[in-house]
Amino acid sequence: MATLKEKRTCGQRCEDFGHFVWNSDNGTFMGRTPEKWVYISLYYVAFYVVMTALFSLAIWVLMHTLSPYTPDYQDRLQSPGVMVWPDTYGGEVIEITYNTSDKASWMKMSNILHAFLKPYNETKQFECNFYNCTKGKYFIQKTFSAPHHTKWSCPFTQSMLGECSGLEDPSFGYNGTRPCVVIKMNRIIHFLPSDHVDLPPYVNCTILDGQENVARMDYFPNSGVMDLSYFPYYGKLAQPSYVNPLVAIRFSLVREKQAKIQCRVVSDKISYENYYDPYEGKVIFNLKALK
Amino acid sequence: MSKKEAYDMFEMDGEMSKKKKKKMKKKEKLEGMKKEMDIDDHEITIEELEMRYNTSVTKGLTTNFANQILERDGPNELKPPKGTPEYVKFARQLAGGLQCLMWVAAVICFIAFGIELGRGNLTSFDDLYLAITLIAVVVVTGCFGYYQEFKSTNIIASFKNLVPQQAMVIRDGQKNQINANQLVVGDLVEMKGGDRVPADIRIITAQGCKVDNSSLTGESEPQTRSPECTHESPLETRNIAFFSTMCLEGVATGVIINTGDHTIIGRIASLASGVGNEKTPIAIEIEHFVDIIAGLAIFFGFTFFVVAMFIGYAFLEAMIFFMAIVVAYVPEGLLATVTVCLSLTAKRLARKNCVVKNLEAVETLGSTSVICSDKTGTLTQNRMTVAHLWFDNQIHAADTTEDQSGQSFDQSSETWRSLGRVAALCNRAIFRPDQEGVPIPKRLVVGDASETALLKFTELTIGNIVDYRNRFRKVVEVPFNSTNKFQLSVHELEDPLDLRYLLVMKGAPERILERCSTILIKGQELPLDEQWKEAFQTAYMDLGGLGERVLGFCHLYLNEKEFPRGYQFDTDEMNFTTSGLCFAGLISMIDPPRATVPDAVMKCRTAGIRVIMVTGDHPITARAIAANVGIISEGSETVEDIAQRKRIPVEQVNKSDARACVISGGQLKEMSSEELDDALRNHPEMVFARTSPQQKLIIVESCQRLGSIVAVTGDGVNDSPALKKADIGIAMGIAGSDAAKNAADMILLDDNFASIVTGVEQGRLIFDNLKKSIAYTLTKNIPELTPYLIYITVSVPLPLGCITILFIELATDIFPSVSLAYEKAESDIMHLKPRNPRRDRLVNEALAVYSYFQIGAIQSFAGFTDYFTAMAQEGWFPLLCVGLRSQWENVHLQDLQDSYGQEWTFSQRLYQEYTCYTVFFVSIEICQIADVLIRKTRRLSVFQQGFFRNRVLVSAIVFQLCLGNLLCYCPGMPNIFNFMPIRVQWWFVPLPYGILIFVYDEIRKLGVRRHPGSWWDQELYY
Repeated sequence: MATLKEKRTCGQRCEDFGHFVWNSDNGTFMGRTPEKWVYISLYYVAFYVVMTALFSLAIWVLMHTLSPYTPDYQDRLQSPGVMVWPDTYGGEVIEITYNTSDKASWMKMSNILHAFLKPYNETKQFECNFYNCTKGKYFIQKTFSAPHHTKWSCPFTQSMLGECSGLEDPSFGYNGTRPCVVIKMNRIIHFLPSDHVDLPPYVNCTILDGQENVARMDYFPNSGVMDLSYFPYYGKLAQPSYVNPLVAIRFSLVREKQAKIQCRVVSDKISYENYYDPYEGKVIFNLKALK
Repeated sequence: MSKKEAYDMFEMDGEMSKKKKKKMKKKEKLEGMKKEMDIDDHEITIEELEMRYNTSVTKGLTTNFANQILERDGPNELKPPKGTPEYVKFARQLAGGLQCLMWVAAVICFIAFGIELGRGNLTSFDDLYLAITLIAVVVVTGCFGYYQEFKSTNIIASFKNLVPQQAMVIRDGQKNQINANQLVVGDLVEMKGGDRVPADIRIITAQGCKVDNSSLTGESEPQTRSPECTHESPLETRNIAFFSTMCLEGVATGVIINTGDHTIIGRIASLASGVGNEKTPIAIEIEHFVDIIAGLAIFFGFTFFVVAMFIGYAFLEAMIFFMAIVVAYVPEGLLATVTVCLSLTAKRLARKNCVVKNLEAVETLGSTSVICSDKTGTLTQNRMTVAHLWFDNQIHAADTTEDQSGQSFDQSSETWRSLGRVAALCNRAIFRPDQEGVPIPKRLVVGDASETALLKFTELTIGNIVDYRNRFRKVVEVPFNSTNKFQLSVHELEDPLDLRYLLVMKGAPERILERCSTILIKGQELPLDEQWKEAFQTAYMDLGGLGERVLGFCHLYLNEKEFPRGYQFDTDEMNFTTSGLCFAGLISMIDPPRATVPDAVMKCRTAGIRVIMVTGDHPITARAIAANVGIISEGSETVEDIAQRKRIPVEQVNKSDARACVISGGQLKEMSSEELDDALRNHPEMVFARTSPQQKLIIVESCQRLGSIVAVTGDGVNDSPALKKADIGIAMGIAGSDAAKNAADMILLDDNFASIVTGVEQGRLIFDNLKKSIAYTLTKNIPELTPYLIYITVSVPLPLGCITILFIELATDIFPSVSLAYEKAESDIMHLKPRNPRRDRLVNEALAVYSYFQIGAIQSFAGFTDYFTAMAQEGWFPLLCVGLRSQWENVHLQDLQDSYGQEWTFSQRLYQEYTCYTVFFVSIEICQIADVLIRKTRRLSVFQQGFFRNRVLVSAIVFQLCLGNLLCYCPGMPNIFNFMPIRVQWWFVPLPYGILIFVYDEIRKLGVRRHPGSWWDQELYY
């Protein structure tokens, strides 16, 4: 083993390495002759070309098996998520905190809502969704009867949010102590929120903390109902102009003007008690108005 | 061992220590040792001795004084060599190359966690888990290695003789039996035949005392001990008996001059610890490999760290990428795999009587290219046995096999009866009592080696010797001494009516012949004329040439008138006829080779291993045994043989013509190391005879200079330096001393050379199988690494998490990689040359490149196919995935749209990511099953090797699948280990890639088999 263990100086090592890089005795560069390098490179090029081709083929086949309208599986989307706007976070939780005396602060909130409600613009909605939906029942479409081989979507306009539409009060109440928040439920293809046609899903907010600080809650549209005609959703391709139904809530803050609120979409097929997903079927947020 | 040689040895050690740069300390110690060697206790008179040690040669020490000295000097025993402290051993297990890399990864994890925590982000406990897992991996593998080492140390400890040695000591003028470890300097001790010498002793009185110094000096002949000082060197003089040598016969009393570690043997034992431990080849291989892996891991990690920073990731994210790449790239399970594979082989070897102390030694044995073997006990049976007889002018061969299964000679001749009678009667050896059940060759005998051989031989051929001797009552006897060189005894005859006395004599043949005037041929007494004398000479030469110890036998019926019944025979006066005897025949003895040895040596030869015999015996004997077992093959000649054949002087012979060479210790002493190297280079068949054990060290070093990997066998204390110096030291379990066992890497429980060959075979097999295991283990590092690379560069949602990687490395893939250790050899590995440690690396370029860039690449493609399938079928098309990372991982985004317009919360996306981890995991598993199948062979087709021959491998695959299923479908897994219950069809997506791997490798193997040496073979055979 003496031969293997001999301590070599750095110079010798460098020399050895130099010898490895270019060995003039047998004309090898990095252990191979240039000719061999060409061969091995060609081999690897061929190998990877073939492998990439196979991979592309596999992906191509995969894409061909997929339906453009509906996903094969919705394993993760058993129940829709729910979110609140303005979606301002303070660390882990949603904090809707604004200062009534600071215009920049409350303008931020109202701007978020304005941006969020842009697709719900009256003119826009009636331009795209001019189908006259029958309220109060699922809008089941078997055929693609809408223009461009699509399905109809029911319009949801800003004005349906009444006082919280931002049309009459562009500040959404953020210049005072009656702020509006908008609740949106995520859309899931073919999802029907309820088995009972007479019971549409509705939003119900409860005050978890600071009950005494909230004088009243007003739901828009009336009683916070999401009309059944917005369900089911048929996907981006079938319903390109689909908009989620919204529910707005106006809180009247009094006294300390802060509360921890949970807004839940109530329906028999929407679960809300998933420990690992706090946004499933409900959303919890802190609302706080400063002076 | 002459004094000069002893000094040589110390000087050599001095040089070695210089190399080790522990100059000062070591040198002082050695100087001290040299000084202490200058014992003059043997030169001074007994009175001076009494003065020096305050003792009396009649009464001994007083008990009080003895106790005082005991307190001063400590007990009379060899201190076990200072072992490394246990915690250091354990720490060493935790500080290997790979382990260090994993420590670094763990530290990065901790830092990342700390920073995250500092930012108030409490979600990412993953980093903490990962750090803890990494540390656990290092500690668990460390414990495993430590346990292995601990266990083998225990085996060694169990060899130690637990029965305390007793000694007869005279104190206060009274004889006492005390434990030998209570003896002190100045004690007066008595010893008799069969005792072990309890300390270094200056002999005061002795009667026919002989000691066996072989464990100290390697001299196999018994040495006489007497009170006179015969030599200035303490090692040569006759009046000192050494600690731990054996007193064979006679009685002696003496004064203890050295005890415990101060004894000569104690000093040699401590010298052994001065010879540094050599690194085993497998350790070098693994180190080499770890260097490369660590280098590449850091290179990859750093490159992507830079790339990540360049792309615009935050520093902390880039650090986490770096850590993740290290985790993905380092084969965490490899250490465990290697350890388990080696210990499996060690276990297998233990069943075949090889106990492996140092796990890595298993593989070393496989790369061994030279074995320096002892003769006595290893190649031979270590018992003198009658091999040939010469009577009736004819050489008869006796049965020398261990189990008496060979053919016996013709016993009908009258001459044989006379010869047998002389051999039976003129013999002082007796069987130890109570051995009726033991087969004759295995019985214990009191007496010297040749008498023992004759006793057993006559017991076998004639029958009950005790009975036989009783029938011929012994009247008088003259024991053998070196001046007479004969032994005689006078007996009454069996027939009570025949009143003649029978004189029987045996001894050195030429001396016996001088005393003979007649010779017995076919029962007839013929005059011993020139013709018979010539016949005798020829036979004597023939038998001597076979390396056998020859004895002559003769007898004489004494004249009834001259020597009537009751005649007073006086052995000092020799008042009876001792010439004009009748020559009966010659009997020659040898220590015959073990039955399995010639075959084993042959196997070594076909395996390209040189067997060099190193023995303390006479060159002729050594040569004869070497020729007998095949170390010197038939038709090979030494320089001397050629000279004799061609009738030219030795100097004119071309040395390279001679295949064989016998070098004696004397010649060796004259040779420079270059000359020795030349001799070893030029003569493939070497025998070293009459060597001292210190020369063994020189021979080993010379072989190592020539680039060989040397295995050395040894048993004596004095062999321990050579055992340590050797790449693999093999000690004898039965004959070996504790010091030798301590110094060795491996112990042969049956002392049989053939066991070494088994070891070599296992060692080679494990090298091949380790290669396969490592190739298997390395392959999956690429499909573990590429997800990160794609994640960083293309920003897709992460396809494979760190925890999942650790599950692959440490849970599912461990068993299959270990199961490869059970793979049978592809070809007859004992027909290949030993591997060249500089060229045939464990992990070579071809292996790494093929595993990484071909099989690993296919596995990555399989993983990504499955990943994109799972994503697309759940609603995320491949093109959408690209660049999705920042949105995907945004905790505040609860309505991210997929390709169908559906909206996902963060948690839903997270569980989708876990699903991806799981499908990627499953893909790697499926591909690894194909991988383990292809790794069964490197050259042969798997169909030739047999799919199901390796049952362990089959069960490993089943186990792997079961574990995979358990991880996927056990409830609770998603939130503990990030495994999701995936759809069944995703298990089958990677299957075509698995088949591709299998087919591709079969094509590779076909090319390698069909076109050996071709470009294909060079590039793709590992």
